[in-house]
Amino acid sequence: MNRQDIVLEVAADPRLLSSVRELVRAYLSAAGFPSDRVDELVLGVDEACTNAIRHGCVGQSEDTFRVVLRTVEDWIEIQLEDSGEPVPAEVFERAGAPPEHDADNLRPGGLGVHLIHEVFDEVEFCPGLTEGNCVTMKLKRPRRNRE
Amino acid sequence: MGLDINVRDDDGWRIIEVQGEVDLNSSPELRAAIMKEVEANRKVGVDLSGARYMDSSGVATLVEGFKTAAKDGFALIRPSNAVMRVLQLSRLDTLFDIRDKPSGG
Repeated sequence: MNRQDIVLEVAADPRLLSSVRELVRAYLSAAGFPSDRVDELVLGVDEACTNAIRHGCVGQSEDTFRVVLRTVEDWIEIQLEDSGEPVPAEVFERAGAPPEHDADNLRPGGLGVHLIHEVFDEVEFCPGLTEGNCVTMKLKRPRRNRE
Repeated sequence: MGLDINVRDDDGWRIIEVQGEVDLNSSPELRAAIMKEVEANRKVGVDLSGARYMDSSGVATLVEGFKTAAKDGFALIRPSNAVMRVLQLSRLDTLFDIRDKPSGG
């Protein structure tokens, strides 16, 4: 079992998203990613948090989701866990398909999943058997910062 | 932090100036400002030069404004690097009329 560097338990409140972004930004900057890259990675994590609030914690303000940050060998992993209704994996994968240049077909939730796939090197989605969803977003560490 | 929205007139356009971060928390405020002007049949320019951050809910808000506005009546004014990047990643950067100022290029 690898060490978790940071485990955050966050209330399903959109007002907290900016604080989560700041912490993720600091973690990824310290890992050595250039600032342009950090910007788009923070966007990807924010989209996963947004989906956790929208779909994972349906209307229950006492609900929380978890953000776990860790470094595993040459990879950085950012994991989001919610306690909502499991989303079928094929729905998540389909939502990540690139949007057409056609605004009429734009689905806001799907756009968020597309952005997550776009910015991370690998994305694993694991719905729970009875409840909850877990998405793990992986990044190759910048070469010069690997131990 | 947060979002500041100011509305002014410029050369027959209503300019909605956006300062700060557009995310799930703040995009409803931006949506309300845009839709109010668009539904009053005004030409709307959304000045995004001061938008430090935008997520997919902000992009969806801009798309909704664009779709609801009259043809040639909705433009993005000087979008920041952060806004251009999320539009590119969304493959929607070619959808919008992007300008330096409301009239002309």
